Amino acid sequence: MKAVAIAEVSLRRFFRDRSNIFSVFLFPVILVLLLGSMQGGASNPRLGFNAETPDDLSAGLLDGLEAVDGFVVIEYDTEAATIRAVERGEIEAGLIVPAGFASALQAGGDTELRYVSRAKDGLQGIDTAIRSVVARQSTLLRTARFAEQQGAGSFENALAMAAEAQISLPPVEVVATSSGEPFALAGLGQFDIWSQTTLVLFIFLTTLQGAAALVQSRRYGVTRRMISTPTSVRTVLFGEGLSRLAIALVQGIVVFVGTWLIFGVDWGNPLLALLVLAMFAIVSSGAAMLLGAVASNDQQAGSLGTMFGLGLAALGGAMFPLAALEFLSTTVWRVAHITPHAWALEAFEELVGYNGGFAEIAGFLAILAGYAVVFFALGTWRLRAVLTR
Amino acid sequence: MNSTTLTGFVLECSGIRKKFGDLVAVDGVGFHIAPGETYGLLGPNGAGKTTTISIIAGLLERDAGEVSIAGEVMNPQSTAAKRHVGLVPQDLAIYPDLDARENLRFFGKLYGMRGAELNQRVDEVLEIIELRDRASDRSEEYSGGMKRRLNIGIGLLHRPTLLILDEPTVGVDPQSRNAILESVEQLGEQGMAVLYTTHYMEEAERLCDRIGIIDQGTIRAEGTQQELVQLVGQRDRVRLVATGNLTAGAAALGNLADVDESAVTADGIDLIVKAAHNRLPEILAAATRTGVSVAGVDVDTANLEALFLHLTGRALRE
Repeated sequence: MKAVAIAEVSLRRFFRDRSNIFSVFLFPVILVLLLGSMQGGASNPRLGFNAETPDDLSAGLLDGLEAVDGFVVIEYDTEAATIRAVERGEIEAGLIVPAGFASALQAGGDTELRYVSRAKDGLQGIDTAIRSVVARQSTLLRTARFAEQQGAGSFENALAMAAEAQISLPPVEVVATSSGEPFALAGLGQFDIWSQTTLVLFIFLTTLQGAAALVQSRRYGVTRRMISTPTSVRTVLFGEGLSRLAIALVQGIVVFVGTWLIFGVDWGNPLLALLVLAMFAIVSSGAAMLLGAVASNDQQAGSLGTMFGLGLAALGGAMFPLAALEFLSTTVWRVAHITPHAWALEAFEELVGYNGGFAEIAGFLAILAGYAVVFFALGTWRLRAVLTR
Repeated sequence: MNSTTLTGFVLECSGIRKKFGDLVAVDGVGFHIAPGETYGLLGPNGAGKTTTISIIAGLLERDAGEVSIAGEVMNPQSTAAKRHVGLVPQDLAIYPDLDARENLRFFGKLYGMRGAELNQRVDEVLEIIELRDRASDRSEEYSGGMKRRLNIGIGLLHRPTLLILDEPTVGVDPQSRNAILESVEQLGEQGMAVLYTTHYMEEAERLCDRIGIIDQGTIRAEGTQQELVQLVGQRDRVRLVATGNLTAGAAALGNLADVDESAVTADGIDLIVKAAHNRLPEILAAATRTGVSVAGVDVDTANLEALFLHLTGRALRE
């Protein structure tokens, strides 16, 4: 109960400073939503399509593009409207079919399709789809032209025959077999992975900033006075940590639910994902209390919190995916697992990538619990030493 | 909460020793306090007062010695002994961004108080420290004296057996200072044992039933104010501003009990008297009988300042 009283007062003081609400709750959520939108979120990329003089060939191209999964095709009346839409970010790319497209090809001449994108190197998925659709149509056109030259009739007839032949011929099938373990995150969108790493990064970073609250209590002399009451150092630290845990949990749940509802991020089993989140929040609170017991002033706690928050996140795979670290070097991957971040991310990967259950993540949860115990024990030892020796 | 031991003392400590590196801050300090007694630790800054009370309050580990409060051994881990103690630290120890009521409620909960009992006691303490009207204002908006009173109020919340006040009037305006001293006097009258540290001689003289003179980590002398003053062997000097037959008067006054010396001066008679405050009526009556007309009396009594000087060779406020 005393720990709850300490946590209650700590939260009361936290919420009394309105800037905390922005920096701890609104800022990460806004950042996640903003970056999520930039990453494209859950919606498919949009490709603008404009044919200056619509004809059968341009219609065939449009049909071919619309048949491709993974992006949406939006038609525009003019080239200018298509380019403007790209520039405004309303669509990711635009394909412009020039006037006289069909007649130029039917006459045996060359023509160019104009592809517009804001991304310097294009968008890989859309690029590939367009090239594929255009290549298929080029093959038909070359076949029709060859047939026309060989006396098989008019270009239109030859084209119709080539199209029919393409449909009737059985396709060559490429059979893929997998070797070794499948890459867990292969089926996930970029934002799915990014949401996990962002959640872990922010929870730890912002919770570490809570160390300043403990330092402030010490500076006010209140922590020492608490020790003069029948309250142990462990209870004081637990109470302060409890308030940080509550803040971290609310922050985590807001990001969790926000990304799930708005971007359709896959978190696997939501209850188990919340369990991982809760355990990681406990670890973060323990780390904050250790830092609060070690730091000698608010500024030091703030700068050390930022340094460790970002440093451990980078090392632990919250900035570069763990899988990438593993490809880079086994040693780097092992070093990453010094951090609790790596274990939390692996637990999320198990839930999301492999549809894991409790049994599969129990080991990760136990390791995270170990971190929490060590952090709280070291924090208690340090705070007791600071206050009573 | 009233608890005493078989010996009848609320606090018993002996042989307390504490070193910080090479510095011996407290060396063999020991004393005891009975219920309702106000004990003063009088000494200059750096004498070891705060270290001593930090050990007694269970805030600091000690290197040696024994401390028991109401029969419970005190150390930083002892929650049982801490239940009996109310500590008022020298530096303010309150949350400035909480109001008085919130601060009091918070510490009340840490003392295990809950519900109606807590609410009632908070109201009582707000009344005692005269902050009821400002109870909902953030304490950072209070004057220095109001903050000090809140600081004291927190120590009173759970009706401790022993209230420890560490220089509670430092940096306080005269009006607030007087209010604080009156509160401490009332607490003593109500039966609370009080350990009061100060380097103000007047406060020790006004409040304390017994005083320990502490310097350089050791108690140099201990006793009631009178006992301490007698240690100096110093007597009071009484100056009578008088006219009339001064020679006869001086001779007559010199024969009175406890008057060790008498002498005629330019404007009257000077006497050296043991416990002058007890002898003044007799002296004035004798002077009148011998035809001396007294226009004024000036008594220089022996005091703790003189005692400290006598014991340490240094002034109390050096």
